[in-house]
Amino acid sequence: MTPEAGRGTALSLRRVSYTYPDSASPALAGITLDVRRGEIVFITGPTGAGKTTLCLAASGILHHEYGGTLEGTVAIHGKDARDYRDMGEIGRHVGVVFDDADAQLIFTTVEEEIASGLENLGIPREEMQQRLRRVMEATGIADLAARAPHTLSGGQKQRLAIAATLALGTEILIMDEPTAELDREATAVVSALLRRLADEGTAVLIVEQKIGELAAIADRMVVIEDGAITAVGSPAEMMEEPAPQRPPAPAIILPTDAAPIISIRGLTHRYDNVAAIRGLDLEIASGEIVVVAGENGSGKTTLIKHLNGLLRPTEGSVIVDGLDTGSVPVAELARHVGLVFQNPDTMLFAKTVADEVAFGLKNINHGDPGRAVDAALREVGLLHRRASYPRALSRGERQRLAIACVIAMRPKVIVLDEPTTGLDVRESRRIMEILARLRQDGHTIVMVTHDMRLLEEYADRTVWMEQGRIVHGSRTYEEEPCLRSCSMSPVRVPFTASTRSPN
Amino acid sequence: MQYVTRESAFHRLHPLTKLIFAVVVVALAVLTSDTAMLAVLVGAVVAAASAGGLARDLLRQVPLLLSLAASLLALTVLTIHSGETIGHLVTQSVPVIGGAFPVTAGAVGLALAMSLRFAAMLFAFQLLVISTQPRDLVHVMDRLRMPVDYTLMLLIALRFIPSLQLEGKRIHEAQLARAYNPGSGLAGKVRGLFPIIIPLVSNSLGKAMVLGLTIDLRGYRSGRRTPMCDLSLARADAAGICCMGLFTAGYLAALLV
Repeated sequence: MTPEAGRGTALSLRRVSYTYPDSASPALAGITLDVRRGEIVFITGPTGAGKTTLCLAASGILHHEYGGTLEGTVAIHGKDARDYRDMGEIGRHVGVVFDDADAQLIFTTVEEEIASGLENLGIPREEMQQRLRRVMEATGIADLAARAPHTLSGGQKQRLAIAATLALGTEILIMDEPTAELDREATAVVSALLRRLADEGTAVLIVEQKIGELAAIADRMVVIEDGAITAVGSPAEMMEEPAPQRPPAPAIILPTDAAPIISIRGLTHRYDNVAAIRGLDLEIASGEIVVVAGENGSGKTTLIKHLNGLLRPTEGSVIVDGLDTGSVPVAELARHVGLVFQNPDTMLFAKTVADEVAFGLKNINHGDPGRAVDAALREVGLLHRRASYPRALSRGERQRLAIACVIAMRPKVIVLDEPTTGLDVRESRRIMEILARLRQDGHTIVMVTHDMRLLEEYADRTVWMEQGRIVHGSRTYEEEPCLRSCSMSPVRVPFTASTRSPN
Repeated sequence: MQYVTRESAFHRLHPLTKLIFAVVVVALAVLTSDTAMLAVLVGAVVAAASAGGLARDLLRQVPLLLSLAASLLALTVLTIHSGETIGHLVTQSVPVIGGAFPVTAGAVGLALAMSLRFAAMLFAFQLLVISTQPRDLVHVMDRLRMPVDYTLMLLIALRFIPSLQLEGKRIHEAQLARAYNPGSGLAGKVRGLFPIIIPLVSNSLGKAMVLGLTIDLRGYRSGRRTPMCDLSLARADAAGICCMGLFTAGYLAALLV
């Protein structure tokens, strides 16, 4: 931080407590926190600790847009948030990146999305164009300028949401999980950009679950639990505590001559004229945990949607458990392949947790849905919540419920798209322990994730994708130290069942 | 229905010209219930779309319009009995209930007129939306001194159409992955609504809050908007407005005669 950049307090929270309408317990309890100009403060804590509410409080949103009971004061540049006329006036000083990138993209092209905010600043046209170009290059989305935001991958949308906020050039940035869906490379780019902005005097408040590169660039790290600050320190001090180690999983003996349960040959998939997958070959043996990794937009989600027939190959074939997913109906494939989506809220609709799990079982005419529901809920630790309303569960519980909905149908292959996004370390680990147990029971697990720690601890094999192709693969993360730096070999390595885990 | 990146004649027109076009078509559509005049109006809009290379985009709405027309016909046949009886929903040869639900010329005419009116309005609005970037539309409405709340309401509505479609697709895929198969026909469609509609509404409400906040934080109420590109009326706009004027004059004259 430059000396001149580090003067003055940009954001100041004093004994802030907040209780949502219709809630008995406070989401924030006596938070006192300052963010100085040129400082990056990194907030972390378990799922449901009140991190998002803290972002809403710090940006004045709770004062102007929410009901509930709010105590204490929030000052933005020394002025009480209540004294600002509305969010438009606060928006001239504070840029906010929300955790739902999708919801904050308004316009029809990437360029329009960023330009629209600039047009409201009343600055000269030449400066607008310069800022537009600079921010697109800095966030690595210059090549997406003409694309419609809703056609982008999750990570690309997140980069666009960040770019649209950064373009406004506010002196304060508040970011709620801005890199949750970013790959490691994009996270590094965003981290460096934020550090540079802070060095130029911007005050940055970041909330993140992942304690990685973003924490490393922070000046201060704050842990909150149950709505209160429980620890404050430098990231170096606070990251010294070693993470709990997972006990080694019992070895799985995979027959070396077994036919693969998933066999993909020459798979190509095009959206209109854009090839998302290009001639991909992959085989996965029964009982493996295979992680599909790669940068945003590399074709990971497109690949896994072929495993249960949601997408059909433009060219090539995908055989899962002996069924050609290019022609077998999705409803039939669901008995063999379960797909857990990244956001559990895309599927929850029933009145109770038990009904939610029973939905899939009824669809496949299961003989004894009651017993299967209880077994699945027991497996994910939600049996005691069987009568609860699914949407009233915590984020982690909803994710476990989504897994229960799939495993109740006992598919041989379970596919998960970013199952731990937005979850804290404890919940992520809990999900992974469930998957490890399912593997013990003979299920094959295919999972998309950016989480290097999960990949390291749980994957038998990692498939790295780039521009719709497999560019690298390893038996385990530890055996391929080159992957630690995310360098990807341009050489395409076809995978076969014989390269599976030595377990 | 959303903006389509393309180089068409409609795309090159000033947003104000396209807004006037949409308003004029809507006004002419509500002025009369004469099916022949409404058919001429629909024909004119489709011809304009063809000239601008956007006719294919309009045709995508035909299934929606046909189902709307069928619903209107069913409604008017059941509720309106005026003019000559041209048939019965239940033929007179059926015992006891034979001859029930007469179909009258008045009911058919009204359903046809309403369907054509909807078609004209929908096509005109679609031409405006698919050929105009929302920020340009916002800019023009701002210049016309429209209340900012109305402008933002239009912006949010335009934004939500593709967003709802996308969210609906995601939810549908998530339920398909659970072997969801509502079956075909009306019964299947009704049965299949709940697993889709409930998450769709719940998720959309959450997104609406974030969307509203984003619009406020990006300064849409600041009232000092500077468009990044020049928006000025050109010869094509003058020609378009003249054509509209001539057509409107002819249309009104035909109505008065």
